[in-house]
Amino acid sequence: MIESLLGGLYLAFSPEVIMFVAVGVFMGVTLGAIPGLSGDMAIAILLPIVFFLEPAAALGLLTGIYKGGMFGGSISAISFGVPGTPGSAATAIDGYQAKLKGYPNKALNTALYSSVIGDTTSDFVLIFLALPLAIVALTFGPVEFFALYAFSLLLISALTKGKVAKGVAMAALGILLAMIGRDPIGGSLRLTFGIPALSGGLALIPVLVGIFAVSELIIQLSRAWMERARRIVDDTKRQAESLLGDYDASKDKLTFREFRANMKATWIGTTMGTLIGALPGAGSSLAAFISYGLAQRFSRNRDDFGKGSLEGVAAAEAGNSATSGSTLIPLFAFGIPGSATAALFGAAFILMGMTPGPRLIYDHTEVIYALFLILIYANLINLALSHFLLPLYSKIAMIQSRILLPIVCVLAILGTFAAGNSVIDVWVLLFAGLLGVVLRIYNFPLAPLILGFIVAPGAERALRQALLIGRGEWTHLLSSPIAIGLYATAAIMILTFTVLMRERKDPTPPAAGKEGQG
Amino acid sequence: MSRLKATLKATAATTLAASLAFAPGLAAASPLGSDPIRLVIPFGPGGGSDITARVLSATAPEFCGPRIDVVSMSGAAGLEAVNFVRNAEPNGHTLLVTDYGPIVTSGFVDDVDWSHDDWQPVMNFTEWLPTVYTRPDHDIQTIEDWMEAAESEPGTITFGHASPLGIVHLPLILLEMETGMENVHVPTSGGGETRSMVMGGHIDLGMTLPASIASEVAAGELTALGVFADERSPALPDTPTFKESGYDVALPAWLMIFATSDVPSETVEFLQDCFMEALASPTAVAMSDRVNAGIEPLNAEDSARLYQNTVDTIGSILREIGEID
Repeated sequence: MIESLLGGLYLAFSPEVIMFVAVGVFMGVTLGAIPGLSGDMAIAILLPIVFFLEPAAALGLLTGIYKGGMFGGSISAISFGVPGTPGSAATAIDGYQAKLKGYPNKALNTALYSSVIGDTTSDFVLIFLALPLAIVALTFGPVEFFALYAFSLLLISALTKGKVAKGVAMAALGILLAMIGRDPIGGSLRLTFGIPALSGGLALIPVLVGIFAVSELIIQLSRAWMERARRIVDDTKRQAESLLGDYDASKDKLTFREFRANMKATWIGTTMGTLIGALPGAGSSLAAFISYGLAQRFSRNRDDFGKGSLEGVAAAEAGNSATSGSTLIPLFAFGIPGSATAALFGAAFILMGMTPGPRLIYDHTEVIYALFLILIYANLINLALSHFLLPLYSKIAMIQSRILLPIVCVLAILGTFAAGNSVIDVWVLLFAGLLGVVLRIYNFPLAPLILGFIVAPGAERALRQALLIGRGEWTHLLSSPIAIGLYATAAIMILTFTVLMRERKDPTPPAAGKEGQG
Repeated sequence: MSRLKATLKATAATTLAASLAFAPGLAAASPLGSDPIRLVIPFGPGGGSDITARVLSATAPEFCGPRIDVVSMSGAAGLEAVNFVRNAEPNGHTLLVTDYGPIVTSGFVDDVDWSHDDWQPVMNFTEWLPTVYTRPDHDIQTIEDWMEAAESEPGTITFGHASPLGIVHLPLILLEMETGMENVHVPTSGGGETRSMVMGGHIDLGMTLPASIASEVAAGELTALGVFADERSPALPDTPTFKESGYDVALPAWLMIFATSDVPSETVEFLQDCFMEALASPTAVAMSDRVNAGIEPLNAEDSARLYQNTVDTIGSILREIGEID
């Protein structure tokens, strides 16, 4: 025991391994920050490296990329309003608003600290509580999963006061878009309008990047076009003077008081992220959205959410990063890959001749101990490296958007193409951009749309599996205490939220109130 | 393991030296030129096909000449990969690595602009044997238990398989056709989800491939009921075949490399030779053992026969269940 722990220490802290972890973190942060590219893709591409490196070094590199990518996604979410990875979609809601108010550095630092706190906690849970949590995770079957998905959709749809009806409509639209393609149960094609390329459905990354980034670019461009005549006359000189506009870096520092005020949201995110990460198939975006929704419900400054709340950034980022340790729990406990990332780590283990599962830690004690240590100290490297990089990134974020957005969009299109090697994805990206423009003009919230799109495949599969298992009886959906608990919580939260909000202050006439109930 | 790494490094060094010294000679012997070969897989990265293809991509450049890349395209339920290879230049540089799902089954049930004859096998990696399994505390522990339970209460046993009509679903359909038994078919997103539903007690039985459950079965954490093959699986030596229990149902799933039929036969022959040679090399054998890939290569001729048989079998199953006319 002691001997293998020492062996693990020796492996984990060899200079070569530390270097690979650092390189991985740097790659992950950078790739994660490019919309369309993600840490998962880099891991997939670099997988064969396990043939050529020592196991600890290879795992260090992959771990570094994974953790860096998890945080990197929030950089573009905050800086450009474009989630760099699906997991950071919830971060974009408040992070981008904070940046628009001139506080990119505060938001980025909040994201970094809550990410690292969430991630480190989750790693400790993986190391010490893997088996008990994995057993709990197995009690989640189709019935429970459907309840969880329904809960998350209600939570996010009812985020914005007075926009509940619009929120629900957007969630429904997201679900509808996700239904394009192959029926997961019957296998037949639906809603493809005879276009063969749609038979696999719309891919997540182009939809995400299109809705957030391309629509923003189109709006900015048209705005610039309209103001062009005026600008050319009097603004050219002033704009040429400063690439950064009137951004004042000295006012944009995260204070300790602000950091402490975000702790509640960070811990909500950490808890939810760790729990949801351990469920096979749920994923980091769901964890981020649920954390965000819950943090808003429990926040004293509820009304700031959606308007640049640092608590919102903290909850979402802690939520998605806290899945990163616990997503490996089903893999370590039962050999079940619970997420795309876990599947890639599983493949890495297999390529190294190690079978994922409960025997892993006994058969390869030193390497696994080394991996545990790497998981922990990679967070510190991430913290240090990102701390050094963030001032730079927040300056980039404040480069004027007419220069920045086209660059972001070109990166997004290239990234999207690289992700799936598919031209169709680029078309989906452009169409999603147009849809995003329409929705933004009419003031529809985008978060429920994205969440609906993300959870719909899982939710539909869970619902129909549950009905198959229950022989078509709808009451089967209420056959589990976990499911009943989730439905009840959702109902209570919606009720208290709508009722409470109306009582607290309702200056608007009944018309808006009605919409609020919808 | 470190010996393998040494071999690999040595191989890399030799390859480099060889390509420096004999580059012109190689180019003359090879109809392939120096552009990389792309092995396109219609699935996401990290699965069995990806891992198996990577054994080839790591070892074959030494024998074939150019670099070999594994490209994963899971779009349009795998059809994107198939179409990509179909539309590529027919020069042997773009090859499809797939099980029978995206090519045989899709060729029947999907609206595609190619037929089964538009493809020619280059070689076959392995045959995967679909296996039925459950948790060890379940009432059903053998094929006989299952048959009895299905007879006393037809249509109550829930059975998890991956995508409908896939390689771990068609054997169940075939068995039901043979025996007249009925089960509740529960499609899942893949092997991981099937497994967590079986282990969590949400469904009764599941189907998967031996390599992914072998160590759990050996440790007594899962029970393998039976294998849909003529012979037992080397990875699960104690698990009977359905044939042994008196049900003549076997539907192994191969993993084959395909070129389009307009690729010249000398190119296909060259690829077959250098792939087979690479997979017979000590490095490849060691790698295959290490990743449990169970690679037993078949040449182009035998693969073509296997392919044709599968087309016939799958065609008759799909006709029987009314999926196609």
